[in-house]
Amino acid sequence: MAAPCSNTLTSFQKKTRSKLVSIPGTRPSVQNGQLLVSSGVSSLDYSFFHFIGSLLVMEDRYDSYSRMLLKYFLAEGVVCGHELFLASARDHPDDIIEGQSQPSDPENPGTMKIAWRYQNQPKVQTALASSVRFGHYYDVSKTMEPELRQAAKCHSFYQLQETPVTTGSSPLPSPYHALLKSIQTVIRKEGFDGSTPQSKVRNVLRLGIHSLGSVLWGDDVCCKDNPAHCHALTTFLYILRGLLRTSLSVAMVTVPSHLIQNRAVMGRIIRLSDTAIALESFKGSEETNPLYKDYHGLLHVRQLPRLNCLSCEVPDTKDLAFKLKRKQFTIERLHLPPDLSETVSRVSKTELAAGCGTTAMGNKHLDF
Amino acid sequence: MLLLDVIQAGGGFILIEDTVQCSGRGLLRCFINAALKRGEDVHVLGFESPETEVCAGLDSSCVQRLHFHKGFPDPLGWTRRSSFTVERFASQHITQLIKDTQHAKAAVLVADSLSMVLRHHDPVVFCQTLQELRQGGVIKTIIGLLHSDLHQQGIVGIVCHLASTVISVAPADNERHSVAKTTRRTKSGKVMQEEEYFSVSEDATLSVQAKPRQPGHAQKERDVSEADPTSNLTFNLRLSEEERKAKQKVALPFVFSQEKKSALLKPTPGSGRIVYEPDANDDFDEEDPDDDLDV
Repeated sequence: MAAPCSNTLTSFQKKTRSKLVSIPGTRPSVQNGQLLVSSGVSSLDYSFFHFIGSLLVMEDRYDSYSRMLLKYFLAEGVVCGHELFLASARDHPDDIIEGQSQPSDPENPGTMKIAWRYQNQPKVQTALASSVRFGHYYDVSKTMEPELRQAAKCHSFYQLQETPVTTGSSPLPSPYHALLKSIQTVIRKEGFDGSTPQSKVRNVLRLGIHSLGSVLWGDDVCCKDNPAHCHALTTFLYILRGLLRTSLSVAMVTVPSHLIQNRAVMGRIIRLSDTAIALESFKGSEETNPLYKDYHGLLHVRQLPRLNCLSCEVPDTKDLAFKLKRKQFTIERLHLPPDLSETVSRVSKTELAAGCGTTAMGNKHLDF
Repeated sequence: MLLLDVIQAGGGFILIEDTVQCSGRGLLRCFINAALKRGEDVHVLGFESPETEVCAGLDSSCVQRLHFHKGFPDPLGWTRRSSFTVERFASQHITQLIKDTQHAKAAVLVADSLSMVLRHHDPVVFCQTLQELRQGGVIKTIIGLLHSDLHQQGIVGIVCHLASTVISVAPADNERHSVAKTTRRTKSGKVMQEEEYFSVSEDATLSVQAKPRQPGHAQKERDVSEADPTSNLTFNLRLSEEERKAKQKVALPFVFSQEKKSALLKPTPGSGRIVYEPDANDDFDEEDPDDDLDV
């Protein structure tokens, strides 16, 4: 009977001699041979064994960290040379693209004087670090250089600038329909679904969709309990999944789940994505729990990917928290800090005294 | 003082959320006053209050930059006495209204109130109108008053989500003041929040007092300066300057030159290998590794 294998800290790399030419920025999964890409945040990759299919991010209340994840995702695409497609209804896609971070080296703690042999080891504390580096690190305080950004091919879809099209018999409202049509056109034209001749170098398309389901996409699922187009969002995700499966593309979709009134819709949306995570930011809530004082929010895992296999790999812990340091966004395991208070049970002085032969004193402070 | 900063700076979509217990109209007048003093054109869509009430006490020298579009007392246009009705709240009408004025520079649109508009428009269309007005380029700031107890929570939620700054007013224990909870979202995604006491004077000036923090919050703000552990001891743990320099000059054992260090630090392939050469006596049987079965 196969025991469920725990999180692999393996440096095993599958030797592929397959017909599939290797695409930059991807690697085949150890488990099932699927192609994996990095999400841009290394600790997120480690938790979910890199990134397959569609990732649904349920936004935090003020949409600050979910936007950051989207920017990381796109920045990783720029660095790996993938093509980007960004759709947004609220902020112009160019604003989001311009806010991407500059890739940098991982934090170097500086040269160590005595322990210099440990200099290059990653600081393995609670940050989840894989022994095989798959993603890149990004310096949040710097924006990406324009040359790097312009080297990547990017398609954008801004809802406000699209002319409304009468959809007629389509079950989707016009903005969703237009967006899907646009995605399909890009996939066909650039040949991500294999329709172009073999001579062209294969590449991956990264789709980023910001705030899907919000009012600005023409969907009223966020403001009413019984929306008029109650199946619009779910239909969209279903069609999107079909498009992703038949092409070399991955998608990250952020949804303002805190606004969606209908719980059933939320459940359906989660099931329709491959991976789903929810971000809960501590900003705005009166959080005085000392456990959370180092972190900026919690990351809840709602769904794990399960493509072409019976069961999914479960990470060893589902208590994850994130924090945004000055330069980097990291996801860590939530853990109790060591208890350094004086009430911790210690071996009493009398026991020690019997062993050492000194007289036991009631005084706690050091005294010679 | 986040509230003062928001009033002085303007820009974006500012939402004032009030209830029947505490009105936000005073704060709205402060915003109008501050915008007029900045030299901006202010267009007020007055659906709920007469011009006299909204514009009372404003600085008379700036009043010519204020354009009040009368909706009250007939916001739906039943008796055709109003110049701007609720149903004309659409991006093309409002943009035209603003362009009709002579100086069409950074305009501020004030809506008193948005609740009146929301009751007669589809929420999706309303939000799209607001978004079009924001991105249109003609209007720099939109300030709206929303009565949160008049709408369902979902609708209040989406309008707050759309706003860049949300100010919720509530009554305070102190009769003269009210409490304002301000949440401001910058373009980079940073969120600032503050809760303050404020009061509005007759001439629409705002006075703000920081809210005294409750004991529960005080723990977070406590200084984490620990006591110096090297004090109050019977022996000396501190170093003087000469002692510090001498300490740094001490040559440590196993200190290599920089080149040797980097050479040693380079990752060598196969740095951990187990080389096993079976001895003559080693007869490794897969099925009986301990060699103790009596077979």
